[in-house]
Amino acid sequence: MATNTVSTRKSLQESRRRRILFENLTGFLFITPASLILLVFQIFPVGFAFFVSLHRWRRTPDEWQGLDQYATALGNFAYVAFFWLAVGVLCFGLFRLRTLIRHTAAHRVGMMVIIPAAALTAAVGALIAWFFTLLPVILDIPARLRGQAIDQEAFVREFYASFGYPEVAAAGGLLLTLVIIALLLTVLWLRLIRHRDSVQWLYMAWTSGLLLLAAGWTLALTSSEVNTVIDAAAQAGSPVPIWAQVLIIGAGTGLIGAALWLWQRTAYNQTSANRTYMVSILAVILLVVGGIFLIRELPQAFAEADPNVLRGFNVTVMYSAVSVPLQIGLGLGLAVLLFQKLKGKALFRVVFFLPYVTPFVATSVVFSLIFSHNVTSPVNQLLVTLGADTQNWLRESSGIFTLIFGDGTPAILSGPGLALIVIIIYNVWIFAGYCAVIFLAGLGGIENDLYEAARIDGANAWHQLRFITIPLLSPTTFFLILVSTIGTFQAFTQIYLMRRPGGFPAVDTVNLNIFNQIQRDSPNFGYGSALAFVLFGVILILTLIQNRVAGRRVFYG
Amino acid sequence: MADVLPSAPSAFARGDASQKVRQPIPVSKIATYATLIIGGLLALLPFVWMLSWSLMTNSEVIAGRFLPAEPQWQNYLTAWNTAQFSRLMWNSVRITAITVTGLLLFCIPAAYAFARIRFWGRNVIFALFLATLMIPDIVTLIPNLLSVVWISRLSESIFGESGAWLNNWPSLTIPFMASAFTIFLLRQFFAQIPEDLWDAARIDGATHFTFLRFVAVPLARAPIMTTLTFAFIGSWNSLVWPLLVVSNDDWRPIAFGLTKFVQTDAGDEFHLQMAASVIMIIPILIVYFITQKQFTEGIWTGSVKG
Repeated sequence: MATNTVSTRKSLQESRRRRILFENLTGFLFITPASLILLVFQIFPVGFAFFVSLHRWRRTPDEWQGLDQYATALGNFAYVAFFWLAVGVLCFGLFRLRTLIRHTAAHRVGMMVIIPAAALTAAVGALIAWFFTLLPVILDIPARLRGQAIDQEAFVREFYASFGYPEVAAAGGLLLTLVIIALLLTVLWLRLIRHRDSVQWLYMAWTSGLLLLAAGWTLALTSSEVNTVIDAAAQAGSPVPIWAQVLIIGAGTGLIGAALWLWQRTAYNQTSANRTYMVSILAVILLVVGGIFLIRELPQAFAEADPNVLRGFNVTVMYSAVSVPLQIGLGLGLAVLLFQKLKGKALFRVVFFLPYVTPFVATSVVFSLIFSHNVTSPVNQLLVTLGADTQNWLRESSGIFTLIFGDGTPAILSGPGLALIVIIIYNVWIFAGYCAVIFLAGLGGIENDLYEAARIDGANAWHQLRFITIPLLSPTTFFLILVSTIGTFQAFTQIYLMRRPGGFPAVDTVNLNIFNQIQRDSPNFGYGSALAFVLFGVILILTLIQNRVAGRRVFYG
Repeated sequence: MADVLPSAPSAFARGDASQKVRQPIPVSKIATYATLIIGGLLALLPFVWMLSWSLMTNSEVIAGRFLPAEPQWQNYLTAWNTAQFSRLMWNSVRITAITVTGLLLFCIPAAYAFARIRFWGRNVIFALFLATLMIPDIVTLIPNLLSVVWISRLSESIFGESGAWLNNWPSLTIPFMASAFTIFLLRQFFAQIPEDLWDAARIDGATHFTFLRFVAVPLARAPIMTTLTFAFIGSWNSLVWPLLVVSNDDWRPIAFGLTKFVQTDAGDEFHLQMAASVIMIIPILIVYFITQKQFTEGIWTGSVKG
């Protein structure tokens, strides 16, 4: 009898284990095709793009450039940014490590997890090193086969031969050794430490190891680059104080950050008025000092930057700063109007949404005709009727304020070019309806009772809008601000299609600059990738800032 | 507008019987209508111009008339033939069909797995997928171009001329056959399917595959339609990527074809540009009006809920 129960339990366990294994296999099978495509065309390209950006890369891979192309784009600020990025990653890795130590503190040998984790980290590092040693060799195959008839045998032969290149083989040997060691240590760890959380500890230790590895590599790269530049400049007789810039800009940003943090603390803590007063003064001092640091150093750090890139960012920021408030404001207005009980509501909704649905390719053609430089174009006819001079619109790169106030306007106050204004109008025309649809969804979620109660209390329509609708819509508004900002920073098709000779420099956003690097006769993939990463970084920072600033004001009901 | 009901700002009037008395139309209502109508006209005006210009002679367009003296219907025929719309449309339809088939084949199982199958590292992998939504397209553009050029060579050497990726369907479709957004959208739906259904199916001996095939997919018709619509519009409008990987007419999609037509072939013939634009818009409008509900729903799901 007893043996029977034991065997039943065993077989039960066995079947359970088999079922879990089967479940796992099914899961992996189901996600494999999509994962492969996402891996090859979405995830791997990020690493690949970074690799490209570190090389001179016209049509084919060329020599290693390090951070030079970032420095070409941003001047010395590139080194500052990379240094503090590395420091940030380092801190994050150390923070994770500290959390891990706290978690494992209760367990006697918990900290031993560091050993297999370090081995795993090293293995991943070796994998990346091997892969990116192999990659240029493999990419070079078509070039090596040039002149021969490319047939299957030749290509496959070259492909296999790529693995045998001395540098690839060396990296591969290292990889193999490290993987074997890491696997052995991991299995050993999982066998020896039979703790509920041992797998999770391993994962945490491993990820913090990866972060530390990335930070260490970036720090080493940046400092060696900076030292090379400093040495070269010293030999040329005009020393550059990059480390000082790194420190001063870092300190300036840090001071401003500290000031903002203090400010928020006083705003949310109810302390005595006297203390609040003192803290506020301290915050102001920190802010001013930090500001002075930045104002003194930033222009010098950007002095060597590519003027095209700076102008590109200037254009991008103007484009975004004018479009986003306009389209969101109009969208909100339309949504509030449409949310009432109206005849033909559905029709209005379709009409306002139409610009968003129709392809840019088609609508941009009409807009470029409406805003054509011809004297007979609709807007020019309107201007003539109003008694004003006709304009070149899309072919006019002069700033709007220069056009209004005459040529004497200082360059810094000239404002967005007229061509950019036209594109902004086009953009608002497209996206106001989209914003309205999203706002309508948000309005649908607001309880009617609130309005009813407010009306009983004597609130008029404006009060209802100001004190109920707008606060309760804040999550939607926040979402739209985020999406629109990112969207305008990444905008390409609208601008590309509306670009006309004469308007060029005024409408070339960073994105357009990057595309110019790719599409011209001698493409510069390396520089293009570097610019793409700069843009990516700016978008990430903007998202973070908006999250912190707006995130606190958003009211989730 | 004479029979517009009570004054109260909309929502409060609902079910309020005492208010159903004819009252003079309040000023605010007239103002609302006026604003909406003016806004609507502004939104529609470019379309009106597009239609009107597409029916003019070129000299009428240049002269800046608002309406054609006599509608030139043959413009559409000329534009269709000069821009080779039959070919462009056929290309875009082929590309869309292949992309969408692949998208559904690959994303539905993945979304299902993320929603309902427990496997190791599920949450980490899903988070990684979602993180790809943050990456700007411009970052992946260059490496993807390099990869596709290389893969094209490889595939050409294995499958011969027709295996090439450049100037051929694979480069236009395969990279778009998986999207984190689609997986996310469908996952949200699959996660809502009641557990009881799965329990019942499992007792009847269903595997995940049969459950997906016979229960989950038929239930998910609405989100799948949304996905289809988005994929259709995306692939109909795609311009940048085809610009880089297509250089001849065999697989040139419609947005690229129209841009080329406008910029080179009909550079000065504005009436033909307009007619061609109208032709390009019509299929999108048809799809939009058919799937209007799913479309708006999808936009909303992708935003507020996400």
